[in-house]
Amino acid sequence: MTTSIVARFEVPFTRMLDANGELCGPLPSFAEKKETMVELYKIMVKARIFDKKAIALQRTGKMGTYAPINGQEAISTAIGHAMDTKDVFVPYYRDYAAQFQRGVKISEILAYWGGDERGSQFDCESEDLPICVPIASQCLHASGVAFAFKHRKQPRVAVVCIGEGGTSEGDFYEAINVAGAWKLPVVFIVNNNQWAISVPLSKQTATQTIAQKAIAAGFEGKQVDGNDLLATRAVIGEAIEAARRGEGPALIEALTYRLCDHTTADDATRYQPSNEVEEAQANEPIKRIKIFLEKENLWDDKQEQQLLDQCSKEVQEAVDEYVNSKPQPIGSAFDYHFETLPDYLIKQRAIAMEAFEDA
Amino acid sequence: MPDITLVEAVTQALAYELKHDKKVVVFGEDVGKNGGVFRATEALQKEFGEDRVFDTPLAESMIAGLAVGMSTQGLKPVAEFQFMGFIYPAMNQIVSHAARMRNRTRGRLSCPLVLRAPFGGGIRAPEHHSESTEALFAHIPGLQVVIPSSPKRAYGLLLAAIRNPDPVVFLEPKRIYRLVKQPVEDNGEALPLGRCFTLKEGDDVTLVSWGASIHETLQSAKQLEDEGLSCEVIDVASIKPLDIDTILTSVEKTGRCVIVHEGAKTCGVGAEISAQIMENCLPDLLAPVQRVTGYDVVMPYFQLEKHYIPSVKRIKEAALSIME
Amino acid sequence: MKLFNLPDLGEGLPDAEIHEWFVKEGDIVKADQPLVSMETAKAVVDVPCPYDGKIVKFYGQPGDVIKAGEPLIGYEATEEVAKPSSDKGTVVGNLEESTDVSEDVFTVGSASTSKNRVKTTPAVRLLAKKLGIDLSSISGTGEHGVVTKDDVNREAQRKAEPKEGYVPLRGVRRAMLASMVQSHQEVVPVSIFDEADIHAWKDGTDITTRLIKAIVDATQKEPALNAWFDSETSSRRCFEEVHLGLAMDTEDGLFVPVIHDAQKASPDALRKTINDYKKSVRERAIPADKLKGATITLSNFGKFAGRFASPIIVPPMVSILAVGRLYEGAVGVNGKIEVHRMLPLSISFDHRAVTGGEATRFLGAVIESLEKS
Repeated sequence: MTTSIVARFEVPFTRMLDANGELCGPLPSFAEKKETMVELYKIMVKARIFDKKAIALQRTGKMGTYAPINGQEAISTAIGHAMDTKDVFVPYYRDYAAQFQRGVKISEILAYWGGDERGSQFDCESEDLPICVPIASQCLHASGVAFAFKHRKQPRVAVVCIGEGGTSEGDFYEAINVAGAWKLPVVFIVNNNQWAISVPLSKQTATQTIAQKAIAAGFEGKQVDGNDLLATRAVIGEAIEAARRGEGPALIEALTYRLCDHTTADDATRYQPSNEVEEAQANEPIKRIKIFLEKENLWDDKQEQQLLDQCSKEVQEAVDEYVNSKPQPIGSAFDYHFETLPDYLIKQRAIAMEAFEDA
Repeated sequence: MPDITLVEAVTQALAYELKHDKKVVVFGEDVGKNGGVFRATEALQKEFGEDRVFDTPLAESMIAGLAVGMSTQGLKPVAEFQFMGFIYPAMNQIVSHAARMRNRTRGRLSCPLVLRAPFGGGIRAPEHHSESTEALFAHIPGLQVVIPSSPKRAYGLLLAAIRNPDPVVFLEPKRIYRLVKQPVEDNGEALPLGRCFTLKEGDDVTLVSWGASIHETLQSAKQLEDEGLSCEVIDVASIKPLDIDTILTSVEKTGRCVIVHEGAKTCGVGAEISAQIMENCLPDLLAPVQRVTGYDVVMPYFQLEKHYIPSVKRIKEAALSIME
Repeated sequence: MKLFNLPDLGEGLPDAEIHEWFVKEGDIVKADQPLVSMETAKAVVDVPCPYDGKIVKFYGQPGDVIKAGEPLIGYEATEEVAKPSSDKGTVVGNLEESTDVSEDVFTVGSASTSKNRVKTTPAVRLLAKKLGIDLSSISGTGEHGVVTKDDVNREAQRKAEPKEGYVPLRGVRRAMLASMVQSHQEVVPVSIFDEADIHAWKDGTDITTRLIKAIVDATQKEPALNAWFDSETSSRRCFEEVHLGLAMDTEDGLFVPVIHDAQKASPDALRKTINDYKKSVRERAIPADKLKGATITLSNFGKFAGRFASPIIVPPMVSILAVGRLYEGAVGVNGKIEVHRMLPLSISFDHRAVTGGEATRFLGAVIESLEKS
């Protein structure tokens, strides 16, 4: 009896724009019109300005615990740009740039972290799922949504995002497994920012890459430089279109670094080595695009200042809207449990509203 | 009109709804070609195709999570858990998502799904196959819990559950899956959720139960009748939302109540019913409400299971003990 | 092939001898069919077939001794018995099946009519109880049909509003209503009627002051009617002093100012007090303390009409004397008819605290005092 190799695996890694803003190859097709990159740069900058403001709101007691995204803006920017309006996005909690592009208001994200369910109601017409706190459970929802698309023979794709720590959860495996087994039109995107709160990737899993977990589910896993907007956007775009064509699911691992606390209730300086953080800072996504755009004469200091002013204004308007919104009456805690309010809740609601109105 | 068993009534209801509502999909482990380990989905895949009735990989959290995702897209998934004992891995998806999606999104998204599972003991099965933990689900806001106790009511209630716009946990008492046959017309008529069913009228004591225990309860009622005690028997059917009015009306008339359930005593659904009776008609009670239930122990292996499940004798004794 | 071993034939017998086979090798047999008779040390025992099947082999012939537990026959289970590929319809355990067919008998909901259970909160229930409102008579205007505080208050107001053509009682009339209701609820009244012959009075005698003096005189003789009764403790307090409540009818209603210590006052002082009270009552200027503390009441009601009445006793007092219209009546004197001026008297007493004897003695004393000149 001899032993033969029955399977091997390969995981490709893609980078198009390096940390110094230099192209490593041809521009990807989505960036044929260089103005697209300016558009994407603006989206990233707005996300960062929003992020800083949100942290400030939490620190000044105007908002609850908030999950920041500093250093990871390229990933959700790429997702939002690559998706079609008719696709469905299934976020975790660091995807604001995608959500903003897909119609979610800044004030709604503030409301969510500010303890108001209306933050997930979404004024705009949307089938996107809300921010998901229970880790990895959203992956199964994405597979379910993708099933509905396939079942109805619709050319739509579900896109789900998850942190690298989340890929240790059972729900992640169950989701990719069924996606592969049923060839579902779903794209799994892993924001590998190296940290799951204080647990580094080295302690999270023994796999060399997160991308290779897809191979265990029977489909392709790819790595990209998650700080490189071009590569991230290009690879995600390709995966979404392939899924749309019926070629099945994909998993994309975007490598980046969490240049912020896990949430505002965390202190990353307790466990993130400072030299590592410095190095990561040099690799961050917004800087390299700015350098590139400036080199291409598509951007200058004047435009930069205009953009900063405009983003600050937009963010401030959203903050004002959030801060000035009247809180919901306690009855709203009852009104959305069932399509029709059952008797036992009617009674309880009346008691709660009475106390609320007396207060 | 066919005479069918409870499990056949489940099949009949699934077939009716698959036929008349294209949004319905039925899935779970072994439900396709095998027709489900209890044959609840017998021949459905053959009739409706793999698109509508299909097997899933062996992953319970996945079954519930897929149902959540699908239902936010407007499909009506009817997912099977092979036994209630295997629903526990899906608790996070059920409690954190199915029960909350409508509330979380202020009504924008919702989960019109049904999770079916055979439950209860008495079939001499190995451990983990005889669970009666409906109280866990009844406690969760946003969930509805329905338990049929006859073929005709299983048919009508399952139709109602599938048509309901919010999540339903539909627990099928497997001990009585094939115990009786009834003529059940396949007319697509649903029974209302949130209503109890009065199975027998009486004046002296109200016996309240659900699921397989209805059978022991009806038997005790008959024996007590022969001893001169007139019993009213109520099948709760919808554990949540609970039709407490029907129970209160009965207790106001009889003044005495015995609640029978297979699940463990502490924090069982009987405790909730008892508290509501006390809150609303204490002046009408002639004696404390009695609960005849499973003990607060893990369901024993089958050699001892008949000593765990509430027996006719225990029910009778409880009723007689509160007569003067 | 399966084996059937010789069972223990009873009482721990170790073996038995084959006596007679009832079947042949190759026979198809049914369970419980007689198989063989075995002779033990004690008896000849018939052994039945344990299963349906086909006899394949005998392990002995008549006369052979077989030990208990050793093979007796070899057999094969028949097709009906084997059922190897039939669907058990379960993957674990065994589901009981029966051939019972029955109709499903049930009513949706209650067999009897349910109470109209009102959707409301504990706070509103409390309010309704306080205001005496029946919640089931209100339809709630709150969200989802809940009965609100406003609903209850509105109903209370509506109930208190008089019907078409009715005018609500206010002020003194309203007070009278309350007083009469309370009296009716508590007191056990008895009234006794009589008359005083006042033909001996001089002209210009002040009727009211004479009546007051008569009451004072009577309380000396029979103090039981000049008392207060406390129903909570079932006790009474007899007074030595007479605080006389004098009923006065006005446009606004009935007032009862109190002449404190009437027993001490001279007739002139009484007359002055009476006139002062009349004036202050007319002017609605009578102070509250002058309306309290009466131990017995006098009501001169006969100004317009009426001789006798059953006047209402106001607790805590136990009696009231009412005087009707003075008239000239025919009375018998020593067998002849004379016309004398007569004063009709009615006394009501609370029979919880006063006996008939006490009351008649009192009335008698009043009459005696009045009939003096």
